[in-house]
Amino acid sequence: MDNEVGAEGYGSWLEQRLRQQGISTAELAKRLDVTPAAVSAWIGGRSEPRDAMKRAVANLLGGEPTPLASPVSWYHRPAHADGGREFGNAAAFAFDADVSVLAREATQNSLDERLDSARPVRVRYTLHELTGDHLNFFLRDLGWDDLEPHYRVAAEQKQKVGRVLAEALRELREIGSLLLLRVDDFNATGLIGGDYGDSKFAAVVRDQLNSNKSSNQAGGSYGLGKATLWATSRFGLVLINSTLSEPHEGRTERRLVGRLELPWHVLAEDEFAGPAWLGTGDPEREGIARSWWADEATAEALHLERDTSEPGTSFLIVGAHDAAGDTGNLQDMHRKLVSTLGQNFWAAMTSGRDRTPLLEASVVTMRNGIFVTDEERVDPHVEQPACARALRAYLDGDTVDQLTAAHQVALAHVTLRVPRLGTEPRTEGGAEHEAVLLVTPADDKDESSNRLVCMRGNRMTVMERAVRDLPLGTDPFQAVLLAGRATGRETRATGLAEAFLRAAEPPEHNDWNKTEELAATYARGALSRITEFRRDMDAAVRGIIGRRKAKRDGGPDVLRDLLRLDVANTSRRVNAHPSIRHVSASVDDSGAWQVQAEVKLPAREDAWTLEAVAKFDVRSGGRPRVPWARLAAGENCRVENGLLMFSPGARSASFTGVTDVTAHPVNAAMASLVVDLQKARESA
Amino acid sequence: MNRHTVDRSDLLALLPETVALKYLTRSVLSGQEAPPRIALLRAASPMGEPSARWSAYALCELVDEAMSRFPEGSRAAADAWLAPRLHATLRMTRAEASDPELWIYVAMVVAPDYVVWRHLGGAGSSGEPAMVATGRFTGPHYTQAFARLWWAAELFRDGDDYRPAVTACRNQDVLNTVMRLDLIDHRPSARAVVRLLDQGTIRTGREVNALAKAINTAGTTLLYDVLAPDELPEQEGVREWIRDAETAPPAPWKALPDGPKDGRIPEASVDTMTGCFAGLFEKAPVRGRADSPSPGVPAQGVSLHKAYAESSEPRSAR
Amino acid sequence: MTTSVRPYPTLAGSVELEVVGAALDGRPQLLDMISRQERVVALHLNERSDWREARLELRARLPQRELSTGPWQKVECVAVLTEGVTNSRTLRPLRRASDGSWAGSITVERDLHRVRADLDLFVTATIGDVPGRIVGTDENPWIVDLTARTPLRQRTLEINEVDFGDADVPWLSRFKELPWLVETSGGDVPTVHLNLGFEGLKELLGSGGSVSEKALRGSIAAQIAAEAWTAMFHSAISELELDDDGTPQWPGGWRESVLRIMLPDVHPELPPADALFEAHSSRANGGGWHELQSRIQYAASRRAKVSRSLSTAIRSLDRSKEARA
Repeated sequence: MDNEVGAEGYGSWLEQRLRQQGISTAELAKRLDVTPAAVSAWIGGRSEPRDAMKRAVANLLGGEPTPLASPVSWYHRPAHADGGREFGNAAAFAFDADVSVLAREATQNSLDERLDSARPVRVRYTLHELTGDHLNFFLRDLGWDDLEPHYRVAAEQKQKVGRVLAEALRELREIGSLLLLRVDDFNATGLIGGDYGDSKFAAVVRDQLNSNKSSNQAGGSYGLGKATLWATSRFGLVLINSTLSEPHEGRTERRLVGRLELPWHVLAEDEFAGPAWLGTGDPEREGIARSWWADEATAEALHLERDTSEPGTSFLIVGAHDAAGDTGNLQDMHRKLVSTLGQNFWAAMTSGRDRTPLLEASVVTMRNGIFVTDEERVDPHVEQPACARALRAYLDGDTVDQLTAAHQVALAHVTLRVPRLGTEPRTEGGAEHEAVLLVTPADDKDESSNRLVCMRGNRMTVMERAVRDLPLGTDPFQAVLLAGRATGRETRATGLAEAFLRAAEPPEHNDWNKTEELAATYARGALSRITEFRRDMDAAVRGIIGRRKAKRDGGPDVLRDLLRLDVANTSRRVNAHPSIRHVSASVDDSGAWQVQAEVKLPAREDAWTLEAVAKFDVRSGGRPRVPWARLAAGENCRVENGLLMFSPGARSASFTGVTDVTAHPVNAAMASLVVDLQKARESA
Repeated sequence: MNRHTVDRSDLLALLPETVALKYLTRSVLSGQEAPPRIALLRAASPMGEPSARWSAYALCELVDEAMSRFPEGSRAAADAWLAPRLHATLRMTRAEASDPELWIYVAMVVAPDYVVWRHLGGAGSSGEPAMVATGRFTGPHYTQAFARLWWAAELFRDGDDYRPAVTACRNQDVLNTVMRLDLIDHRPSARAVVRLLDQGTIRTGREVNALAKAINTAGTTLLYDVLAPDELPEQEGVREWIRDAETAPPAPWKALPDGPKDGRIPEASVDTMTGCFAGLFEKAPVRGRADSPSPGVPAQGVSLHKAYAESSEPRSAR
Repeated sequence: MTTSVRPYPTLAGSVELEVVGAALDGRPQLLDMISRQERVVALHLNERSDWREARLELRARLPQRELSTGPWQKVECVAVLTEGVTNSRTLRPLRRASDGSWAGSITVERDLHRVRADLDLFVTATIGDVPGRIVGTDENPWIVDLTARTPLRQRTLEINEVDFGDADVPWLSRFKELPWLVETSGGDVPTVHLNLGFEGLKELLGSGGSVSEKALRGSIAAQIAAEAWTAMFHSAISELELDDDGTPQWPGGWRESVLRIMLPDVHPELPPADALFEAHSSRANGGGWHELQSRIQYAASRRAKVSRSLSTAIRSLDRSKEARA
């Protein structure tokens, strides 16, 4: 990232441009009225055109007249003057994230930042593994030479972050591969506003990562969630490219910046606080870099190019890892992303007949610029079939009152009586909100069922809970409760309900329950309203699925209990008797069954004597027995008088047999054979 | 043996097995004494809606005629005559015919003399008097004296054509063995068995039993219904036939009556099953048949684990 | 466990049938008529008895990948509805649906069924030159119950509380001095008739009452239950189908349940199939019949918890004596 190699940088930019636009060196020379040799010299980095010529080139080929307007490099924040060390504002929480947490947080942010509410916000996760030259070029363009000494010293520290870094460095060196995880959104606001202060940009790039103060909400929705981006990088390193929905400094495209989170460290006697930024130096703030407006070549070299000029942001997580540890390879991580997105955003991704979804999400996996998997669109109907079916039916107005078929969705209303605010007079405020309850039979693919998913806002899942007091034998179902704005209504009551429910949520936003905020904000009785709401939603679910009359058969209980015909409840000694473990058999050329059987024997010191019996299976009635033409002992047994004598103490045995074809009641090829062991009978 | 007179107004009724068993004494089973009619009538409950089809008188007439037609020594031959006429007289749905209490009533109250006439065997070797098996009064559909005839007509008829049922009932081994197989609930299969009898492919009791065993065994690997599709019988035809019972004359004694018009069995399917069964029979060993079965085709074996012992809900069986 | 071997390749993957909807005479019924867990359709849930035909919507899942890569040609998937007592057999093919499952429907004609029908699924294919081979089946068939109000698989004994002197049950009148009667004949589930005409019996077996009343209730119930289990065992063992070599077959239905519950107590030293053979042959040959009686009594008493309720009764008597002393 050194601008001193300006000529070379310009040359490679020019070469790329020409290639992209399919213009030959000769043609460019002709249009600029210069010799082809001059153009070759520019491309080869042997010379650089003058500024006027650069502008002429830019007019022809588009793009910035100069690729890097001012020096871009890493700026490491010096340590506090007071000598205070932060062993990881990042370190305390970061380097420990689960990709499913990342996907949840980052996607929720995108959803909250949706720009055009008539269209879905598009989110794409790209897993990209780099090795060999692809890796080397990326590291070079990233300025790794500058970063590596910092990483090396930070990795020597004994804290957890040190160990994580050391391991990451070791793998990079020894295995020579690096995983990039890129999170793009389109039709989103983008990181608008100034580099500092109250802006979305600053909220993401500047503010402390581990702070959850409400001031952090200033820039928008990027609260605690953004920290997971850095936490997912084992190098604590994230690069950003944002296309803005509102111009900043007269520009919208390719606002780039990088941010690195390291603990306090000393390098060559200089003390560093830890954080570093990739950007252009801010003359007014020492050790701090501003975002810069990059050219396409730079964006491409840093794997940050965006495929359209649609507003939104791309985050590139360098050295992505899944600390949850359940993803052994790229495919696993791909699958985990798809299922996380499906699980958490099926509602936002569900569309109606004439309603677009709020969100579209996809996952793609690449290796060294080549697609390993095609872009996989996350389909809510695959990931959460029953829930998605329920919501779709609601959006399409295809619900029913009572379920009569397995694909149907029943709708019921649950009333939330929103109390007035504590400050409102007794006669005003409050409202009745009709939340929407959807119930549908669970699909085979649903992993968990009999649960109620509660959502509000832009169909954000607040909680998922089991429904209580279900009648026995209830078939698996899925239920969805839409409250507040999630109902799709825009009324006064909807707004009041939304606010009331938000107040009923703990900071994690994962429950509706009695909170201090509820008690403080609303008039007396607010707490019991939330309890009633929970109770009523359970009752409504039972009303739809539990319609079955619990009609008992007659007779006194005391007698009925003694007369149950449950076979399952009988105590049975397991494996107390020898049994056939496996039979393989085939019909030979003579038409006889050739049988090999393995026998499982329970532990016993005495020998077992049993009879092996072959029968032809029948549709109904008695089965014809087929005598053995030959019965031979295998392992752990011998044959005596046609009976099998198993060796004492043996746990397994085997034998072979051939049936007597002259006694077959039908051609063996048309029959199925049953082989059993039974107690030797006197007649046998 | 005395026959109770049956009044023209008498209707059939239902009699619980528990009650019947109490009165099936040795003297009743050996034909020395009739079951106590008055006590049985007291324990019986009515059939539901009165209808001409439940006329006990029509049944009595029919049974009397059967007993007078077939002399001592050829009583088994009465089955083929009685079966279609009993079926055409006692017009009812399968659901109604599946009630054992109805058949018990017929055997215990309406015509116990027929049960003894038809099923009293020879004296035992130890000199004990011959007795009718209890099952001829109270047994399952393939054993009970009247149920077996009604069901034989039902299972072997071809729509309204009782002729296949007549053939089936001429062979006691068909009634005793083939009737028990659940595979004849597939009409083309039942019809094919009769056709093999008609063609003379199978003649003796041994051959019938060998055929039964072969097709019952092969039925575990072949789904006959798929080889030879059947049309669903039209229940409306049966319902119409039942409604006609109010006005229909008694079943003719010389000519065969007509059965319910619920649709004939597809001829092509009967042909398929006849060929299939003939092929299976050809390779089956029949005791006393000279030619030995030809060797089968070599085939691979695959093991299917069927955890009978583990299943909590036993499969229902006949 | 019995292992059946076939002379051709069968499906290793599972074959599953589901009933996804039911209509009576064209009127769609609420889904609570169907239990996917129990695999039962309770057609009598709404206590309507005037319907003529029920139509069940079916869906089946087959191991599609295995089917497409295996040696099976002309694969067909059929649902078969059968009921033993009416000798009824209705078969309907299912068709491949767009989502890879197989779908279809089957009609339950009321006139063709009596109590409970089995709904099976078979997958057939041509293998080599043999068509119609059964290559897969749902091992756990559905039950279509025409009389049940709740879709439950396990049927319980019927307890019929009736005055034995009542004119509606003429056949019970000759037993009217008995407090109860166990009836196992008749094909359906066994019934315990409790005589309401027997003074005080209903109150005694009801709820509440003093400690000693409770103790007496327990011990009377145990006595009735022991009698019922004994009667059921005798009934169940008496109508067994035999294999050609005399091996009895499990009879299915409630009879099989009773045998499977009691045989481990009747012949604890034997595996179930051998225990069935022993019990059957003792009964059929008369050998060991008397010993079998005691074994049946033991098993029935255990099921009925006779010892426990008697001990409870005796202790409560002791306590009430102490209280008086």
